[in-house]
Amino acid sequence: MATRFSDFDRSFSVFDELRRRMDRIWDDYDTDAPDLGFQASSSWPRVNVTDAGSALVFRADVPGIAEKDFHVTVTQDGLTLAGERKTTAPEGYSTQRQERPAAKFSRSWTLPYKVDAEKTSATLKDGVLTITLAKAAEAQPRQITVRAQA
Amino acid sequence: MNTAIRPSTNPSPERVEQRAPTVQPFVDVYESPNELLLWADVPGATREGVQVHVDKGQLTLTARRADVAGEVAAGARAVQTEARTYDYCRVFSVPAGIDASKIEAELSSGVLKVRLPKSEALRPRRIEVKAS
Repeated sequence: MATRFSDFDRSFSVFDELRRRMDRIWDDYDTDAPDLGFQASSSWPRVNVTDAGSALVFRADVPGIAEKDFHVTVTQDGLTLAGERKTTAPEGYSTQRQERPAAKFSRSWTLPYKVDAEKTSATLKDGVLTITLAKAAEAQPRQITVRAQA
Repeated sequence: MNTAIRPSTNPSPERVEQRAPTVQPFVDVYESPNELLLWADVPGATREGVQVHVDKGQLTLTARRADVAGEVAAGARAVQTEARTYDYCRVFSVPAGIDASKIEAELSSGVLKVRLPKSEALRPRRIEVKAS
C-alpha cells in the first residue's frame, strides 16, 4: 500500500532530474576563481574557499552531520577534512526516494600559504562547517609605505 | 558573475516569489504505515528563512540561505568555488490521503525534515476477530 509521493507534474520529472544534475555539473565547472592549484571536483561535500587577507576560510556544505563526526586536521601547509554521513531510512520506515548522497569523505588541500595551526577554528552552524585558518605572520599581506626622497 | 546565461533552476517561478536563482535541494522520502517523512538538504538555511507551504495538493519548500550575502566578505577573494550559495526551492505534489492540517516541519543542522501524517482511513488497522 505505497502512497506515492512524487515531484509536481510527474510527466516532467525526468527532465527535472536531468536539469538538476546538469545544474550541478555547470556549478562544478563554472567558477570565477583563479586556479591556485585547487581542483574543482564533484566530490562531496562541496567546499568554498576564500582568502580574507589575514586568513583562509573554508566553508563546506555538510547538512545532517553531527560535530563529532568530523575530523579536521591542520598542518603548517595542509588541511584535511574527513567525516561520514549516513542517509539510511529511520527505523520502521521504507525508502521511497533517495537523492541525498551518503558519503564517507576525506578531502585534503595543500595550502598556498603557511598557516598558524594554533589559531585555527572550526564552527558548525546550520549544516555549514566553517574552518578559519589564520595565515602565519610571514604570509600576512603587508602594506609598504612609499616615501618620497628629498 | 555569469549567472545571467544560466537556465533558471526555479521549478515554479509563477507560484513562488523569491530571489532568483534557486537550486532544487536533494530530497529523501521515507514511508511508514502512519506517515511520510521528507528530508531535504538545505545547508546554510536558518529557521526564519524556511517556508513549507501546502496548497491545492502541492507542497512547496523554500529555504533562504543566510550566507548568500556574505558569500565573499568585503576584501576577501574567492580561491575555490564549488558550491553556489543559492536559495532552495522545490515543489512536490502531495498524494491523496495525507492530512494536510497535521503536516509538521523542523530544521535540524541543515536538514529540513517534514512529517506528513497519513489520514486515519489510510492507516493499517487491526480488526479484532470476535468469537461467536
